Amino acid sequence: MLNKIWAALIITSILFALIRDIMDEINNPYQNGIPQNIPYTVLKHDTQQLVLGFLTHQPDDKDLIDINAIIETDSRIKLYIDSNSPQWLQLLASVHGNGSNFTATLIEQNAEHMHILFPELHWVKLRAITEAAFDMAEFAAKLALGLIGLMALWLGLMRIAEQSGIIQSMVKIVQPLLRWLFPGIPKDHPAFASISMNMAANVLGLGNAATPLGIKAMQQLQQLNNKSDTASDEMCMFLALNTSSVQLLPPVTLIALMGTQISDLIIPIILATTCSTITAIIVVRLYQKGRLRCNN
Amino acid sequence: MQQLSTLIIPLLILFIVSVGLRRHIPVYEEFVEGAKEGFSIAVTIIPYLVAMLFAIAMFRASGALEFFMHALSPVANWLGFPPEVIPMGLIRPLTGSGSVGVLAELIQTHGTDSLIVKTAAVMFGSTETTLYVLAVYFGAINIRKTRYALQAGLIADFSGFIAAITITYWYFS
Repeated sequence: MLNKIWAALIITSILFALIRDIMDEINNPYQNGIPQNIPYTVLKHDTQQLVLGFLTHQPDDKDLIDINAIIETDSRIKLYIDSNSPQWLQLLASVHGNGSNFTATLIEQNAEHMHILFPELHWVKLRAITEAAFDMAEFAAKLALGLIGLMALWLGLMRIAEQSGIIQSMVKIVQPLLRWLFPGIPKDHPAFASISMNMAANVLGLGNAATPLGIKAMQQLQQLNNKSDTASDEMCMFLALNTSSVQLLPPVTLIALMGTQISDLIIPIILATTCSTITAIIVVRLYQKGRLRCNN
Repeated sequence: MQQLSTLIIPLLILFIVSVGLRRHIPVYEEFVEGAKEGFSIAVTIIPYLVAMLFAIAMFRASGALEFFMHALSPVANWLGFPPEVIPMGLIRPLTGSGSVGVLAELIQTHGTDSLIVKTAAVMFGSTETTLYVLAVYFGAINIRKTRYALQAGLIADFSGFIAAITITYWYFS
């Protein structure tokens, strides 16, 4: 299933990008090869500095956006682009220049308008998805390495808790509740403690603590697993409970986005997550009993 | 409730360290011993996270999401919920930052007190970025064959969305 979804994500994105680019080739939205009439005002005559006025390309917006430009030799005009410039100019600058400027051909000019031929834009979407893939690969590594500190902190604290017997006493308290969900974990195993701490962190919306504690629980489940590259029933149950967890307190990002409105949403979120947690338990149980099948 | 979540971590750390001290555990030494593993776990996760996130990033950049949104909006209308919340349902299991973006955009156009934003926010709060959690949790212990974990997670997400939409409508009307 994971293999298929993963491949489907990649194949659909490339197909979609390809179709969009082929439609762009037909409809020519970037006006490739068609000179544009752009109004301008001169800033400095001696250095040929001027300001071009571009349409913002937003519906019902008749205002012009100013773009700084310099006329270079032989009818070449250099445009300076920043993050407020229209999208297609930013694209041109990243494809045909160094991201902040590019050169276009000046065909002719009169007192108010310039006739400019811009460089051509092709395969915009394919370029965009390639860039997204490279950027995200870099970001994923950073994200994983960013976990080092938090992982170390929680693993260190958990080690003290193990050595001082806190974990063992916690297991005694939570295992009557959790044994029903995780019948494969032997009695008095420390995994019960990590699982319950991860669940508590999830319920209270403490994402920073939940991930390291969840990984700790997964490691302990892996020690009980007899096929080291395949997920055990307990792991699947744990993952499903994690992604569908009851939320007594909403995640911090949601609080930040919703402001004071958040207090109205707490009860609906508790009810909805209760539904998803129950569904998760039922679905995992159905898979475990073979009522639902998966092919690996 | 809000105070509880800010207090719980410092209190937990205090509890662990003081119990350790009382039972004559060399707390500093044991902490370092446990913390050692942090680096290797993070490094183990990298290939899994790269595989998952680059595929999702390509999917988002391709514009396929908008297409599915348009394709699904008649279904949403027929079921009687606003099609504006579909992108949240599609993107939430894939990426956290993407779904924050969707919610922020909805807030900008509709305001936080509209039913659309409330529904989307409950959807956001009720589910997790399942694919990310799967990559991190299974990546940390080098599990490649995930069996039915993804299916179960996605079915739970889907039920969370349906529950979020129904409950928000029932709760605010």
